[in-house]
Amino acid sequence: MNKVYILGGAQTDFERNWEKEGKNMTALLREAVFDGLKGAGLTFDDVRELNKNNRVACFVGNFIAEKYTEQGHLGALLTEVNPAFYGVPSARYEAACASGSAAIDAAQTKIQAGEYDVAVVVGWELMKTVDSRTGGDFLGRAAFYEKEGKGINMPFPRLFGKLADETLKKYGTNEKRYMDALAQIAAINYANAKRNPLAQTRKWFMSYKQASTRGTDTNPIVGGRLAVSDCSQVTDGAAVVVLASENFVRGRGLRDKPVIKGYGHRVAPMLFDRKMEDNRGSSYILPWTRQAVLDAYRRSGLTVEDIDVFETHDCFTSSEYAAVSAFGLTEPGREYEAVESGMIAFDGKKPINPGGGLIGCGHPVGASGVRMFLDLYKQVSGEAGGYQISGVRNAMMLNFGGSATTNYVFVVGEYR
Amino acid sequence: MMDIKTVTVIGVTGTMGANVAGIFASFGNAKVYCIGRDFEKVKRTIPRIVGSVKADVIAKNLIPADFSMLETCVSESDLVFESSAEVFEIKAGIAGRVGKTLKKTAVSCTGTSGLSITTLAGYYPEEMRSRFFGVHMFNPPYSMPLCELIPTVYSDKEVLDELHDYLDRKLLRTVVEVKDLPAFLGNRIGFQFINEALQYADKYKDNGGIDYIDAILGPFTGRVMAPLETSDFVGLDVHKAIVDNIYENTNDCAHETFFLPEFFRELVSENRLGRKTGSGLYRTIRHENGVEHLVFDISTGDYRDVIPYAFPFADKMKRCIAEGDYEKAFRELAGSHALEAEICRSFLLKYIVYSLYAAEEVGYTIEVADDVMAVGFNWCPPLAMYQALSTVSDVPVMMREYLPEICGKVDLEGLLDGVRPSRYDYRPYFRTGM
Repeated sequence: MNKVYILGGAQTDFERNWEKEGKNMTALLREAVFDGLKGAGLTFDDVRELNKNNRVACFVGNFIAEKYTEQGHLGALLTEVNPAFYGVPSARYEAACASGSAAIDAAQTKIQAGEYDVAVVVGWELMKTVDSRTGGDFLGRAAFYEKEGKGINMPFPRLFGKLADETLKKYGTNEKRYMDALAQIAAINYANAKRNPLAQTRKWFMSYKQASTRGTDTNPIVGGRLAVSDCSQVTDGAAVVVLASENFVRGRGLRDKPVIKGYGHRVAPMLFDRKMEDNRGSSYILPWTRQAVLDAYRRSGLTVEDIDVFETHDCFTSSEYAAVSAFGLTEPGREYEAVESGMIAFDGKKPINPGGGLIGCGHPVGASGVRMFLDLYKQVSGEAGGYQISGVRNAMMLNFGGSATTNYVFVVGEYR
Repeated sequence: MMDIKTVTVIGVTGTMGANVAGIFASFGNAKVYCIGRDFEKVKRTIPRIVGSVKADVIAKNLIPADFSMLETCVSESDLVFESSAEVFEIKAGIAGRVGKTLKKTAVSCTGTSGLSITTLAGYYPEEMRSRFFGVHMFNPPYSMPLCELIPTVYSDKEVLDELHDYLDRKLLRTVVEVKDLPAFLGNRIGFQFINEALQYADKYKDNGGIDYIDAILGPFTGRVMAPLETSDFVGLDVHKAIVDNIYENTNDCAHETFFLPEFFRELVSENRLGRKTGSGLYRTIRHENGVEHLVFDISTGDYRDVIPYAFPFADKMKRCIAEGDYEKAFRELAGSHALEAEICRSFLLKYIVYSLYAAEEVGYTIEVADDVMAVGFNWCPPLAMYQALSTVSDVPVMMREYLPEICGKVDLEGLLDGVRPSRYDYRPYFRTGM
């Protein structure tokens, strides 16, 4: 198999509300793709040139533009961005909130197989086209809509509230200790977002005290035990990364570009209740999430010791909590230790989400996998600016779709 | 970093005072004595302060107080922030009282939007003048983090640096140090544009006036809100105070553009102060089944329906911006010979020239002009505007062609030498909505 290099990319400013700016998805894609190619050191002329010999393709991650913007056929839509994409193979990949990762997976496979030299991966979602209740209902389609979403107000906060309940039940953790750890997770993500000039919440106020005071006017309960401070954001945004083959990297004289070292992709039972039945034989609350992480460690030949920074899918604080043991940072059931000891804080031994994660940076669902992957690239290549962790050689991300149903893990590292 | 545990905010029932108290209590995690004239009104203001930063947990940091408790509160405070009415005698009186009881290690700030900080410093005891600064925030500070920091001749450099650091890293403000000159930098640049737009509305009153000019300089020209709508939003009285102060106390290359048209003075004298009084340059009437937007017609002196102007150059620009094709939008602007496009072009070019000029006059670096306009006004900042227009045209050539008057008064070559790439992306500022 051929190595897959990462040339770079870009994300849009997740604070922006494109509806309020009066701009459509073409505008979003134009800006993201223009910046992404620039970040990767490519031009539209490069795309034209590569396309003459069928050496470039596009991979689009998006969850549900059909609902938010009344648009499908999103691979082809890139031809509206620039005529350089006329004739370039392009298709859309969908796996709910893991759509971006599904697009990256397809792209890396084509490079590995030697089919293309350059793969442009675009993840995007415009979510502020509708009110939050309508948007919450759209997102219910990432669960089993008929059984878990239809007619339910805000289905996802409920599902991840149930994950909190099940975690307490499975491990018998002290409830206060658990809820305080969740509040700390929120506070860390908000604090990290202050270091990120493209984070949605960079100007917002949040403290551990505010996050641990749930059920107030400014921090109402949204699902079970979880309050607004436990949730990720509704976000407009796009992220782009460009992958390349060894041939291309050599031809351009690009040394030291990070590579994809491994991945994991596992799908758990669709229904949340079946997931919980399924975990009875495991010490992990989300055994298929853990398995995807193990697969990525195996494929990369690395262990948790080798990973210097993590990006996780903190759609809710309860999901980041479960990710801690899935990564292997603690034993299952003892995730609070990594929070209490400061291990996962920005200056800790194993930082998680130094740029703010889904809670702090924002969560345009189809873009999130690509945004995380871009952040791994930035950390490994020393381009993360204010949220750079020093001395990163290897980085891991976990991106999932639905109630931890589709699980995608990637390891990005220095090529040695 | 400065250890600020206790803060006194004076004038907390005003919009700015309340919002600033919220910033100290949340990001600053400080105990805040909230002083107002009427104790009951202060108590009623507390929930508004909590709401301004969306955090119930700060409520216990907010201690209501009135002027009779001023000395007690001040003597316990590490920082005092005066945000009283914009009247010199009132601020001077408070400075006198604060100066007498301020701790030797404490810092005192005034939130004035244009009065002389140096003169106010004179009301402090000599040994405390070095610890007194102007700290001018913009409204609402939660979403507009600009903070102009104004030292005086008395200022202690070390204290200034520490305060700068505290405002920047603890309160998460975008801090720019500017000189103690009328209206400081943000309002000097912003109101040059807004007031000249007002003069143009008067000049072109037979073309429609106020809504005509706003349609020429709307969000598609790099701002969230059209200029005269902005005046209506901040208040006609505030607008008048700012430009009168600049007109009376400065004499720069754009001096005449700070002169207030007569019709505007009349509106102010009739207490038609804009959105806060229900009518001003615009008037909004709420009916059971919708909202009616009216505009003041300068020719007739009456309010009439806002006209949905359709200028071909503006419509083309909006269509391009909606699709994210900014270059094409700027080409439409640069290439049109319509009167409205010429007005628009000259305003945008003059905005760049005047910002470069004012940054030199009031600031210490060219970049501060970008900070104040992006973060304080939500307008495409001048260096980013320069970059935007440069994608399709030779900006210096256009300046000389369209702005002979101001170009004759400034050292254009010298100013343009200072131009460098902006740290801000121009794209988010060009919008198509209102």
